[in-house]
Amino acid sequence: MQNERQTQEDGQKESVASPTPEFEEWTNFVDDDIMQQQAAVQSEEAKKIPFVGDKEPISSLAAEYESGSPILLEKIKVLDGQYSAIRRTRGDGNCFFRSFMFSYLEHILECQDQAEVERIKVNVEGCMKTLQKLGYADLTFEDFFALFLEQLECVIQGKETSISHAELVLRCRDQSISDYVVMFFRFVTAGEIQKRSEFFEPFILGLTNSTVEQFCKSSVEPMGEESDHIHITALSDALGIPIRVMYLDRSSCDNGGVSVNHHDFLPVAGDLTHASCKSETNDPFITLLYRPGHYDILYPK
Amino acid sequence: MQASRARLFKEYKEVQREKTADPDIQLVCDDSNIFKWTALIKGPSETPYEGGVFQLAFAVPEQYPLQPPQVRFLTKIFHPNVHFKTGEICLDILKNAWSPAWTLQSVCRAIIALMAHPEPDSPLNCDSGNLLRSGDVRGFQSMAKMYTRLAAMPKKG
Repeated sequence: MQNERQTQEDGQKESVASPTPEFEEWTNFVDDDIMQQQAAVQSEEAKKIPFVGDKEPISSLAAEYESGSPILLEKIKVLDGQYSAIRRTRGDGNCFFRSFMFSYLEHILECQDQAEVERIKVNVEGCMKTLQKLGYADLTFEDFFALFLEQLECVIQGKETSISHAELVLRCRDQSISDYVVMFFRFVTAGEIQKRSEFFEPFILGLTNSTVEQFCKSSVEPMGEESDHIHITALSDALGIPIRVMYLDRSSCDNGGVSVNHHDFLPVAGDLTHASCKSETNDPFITLLYRPGHYDILYPK
Repeated sequence: MQASRARLFKEYKEVQREKTADPDIQLVCDDSNIFKWTALIKGPSETPYEGGVFQLAFAVPEQYPLQPPQVRFLTKIFHPNVHFKTGEICLDILKNAWSPAWTLQSVCRAIIALMAHPEPDSPLNCDSGNLLRSGDVRGFQSMAKMYTRLAAMPKKG
């Protein structure tokens, strides 16, 4: 009854006429309720798309913009020429890390690039030392590191622990694994940013007007905080993995022809000779599609 | 569930090992339930809470440490960011700024810091917040001190 009246009033707050007992209830409507509501919204979102979706043709992207900007449709055509598929990720603020996780593990699973596995393990070890030097207690991050290394072992075939591609998809959709790996990347990113704080400081000041440490505490470490250039640069550098980002936005090109902008994040000190099974090119083996506010995975033809 | 238990056990061992490291915090795990903790924290010096000992109750969710512990004051406290009736605490790291980089111990440190540096612009206790916002520091301090004496200090005799 109460709810009905509220809905009729189109979400307006209860009028002054509401009796005292209800007012007391309202005062009890505190942060916990807000967090519960947030969780409810998230689980709504979860019904729409898993953490990591299935492969879809690029044409599925065009369907989203049928009545949208012609520039976007033109750009999607260009993408369709270069890429065979898209794999969507959930828009929960972790999409960059989630896309990166799946893309990287899938790459290792398909290429069976043992040299790359050995290489990244060295970097992961380095990231751990970075966090220790920065004063992070081991117990706060070690579980997340261990879980990532476990997934890395599992995608290498021919062992008792080996997993199939289908199993990898399932694991990346399983919150207890997927969120832990996302958190691993968040720790790695926060560590790298603070290790090279002089390099990152101007970018951070430009973005948020906070200190490097504050930025990591508020915008890198908490789950659900969206990623920016800073995060991508730091993660790519820390792990030594190049990342290509294709930008699908409404910016148009001066030369008249339509092309899709991209940016390659190339690790600073990276030794790329073993970084890819397509070692004849220096192209990043991870390609993400960026639309303002969201990252998905792209598959080159 | 497994992961949160393992993590809490590590924190438990750390607390036992570092018992004397932070004399202002005494963190205790429930005998039979590792998801329930209490803490005694000392009111920071040069604040109206000085000399008081405040009890906190922790309820740790199964998704810990991906989700924050729920913490509230069991001891009555007059502070802009603590609900006067429920003891609920308004602190970003217990909400959307939480990350697994925090521990129960470091949460206690953050709460002590909040006691020393109230944020009157996001009050859970409006009376307390309004005193500070209107510049009545003396009024705020005497109220806070009174409740510290009444609720957070051992009774004499």
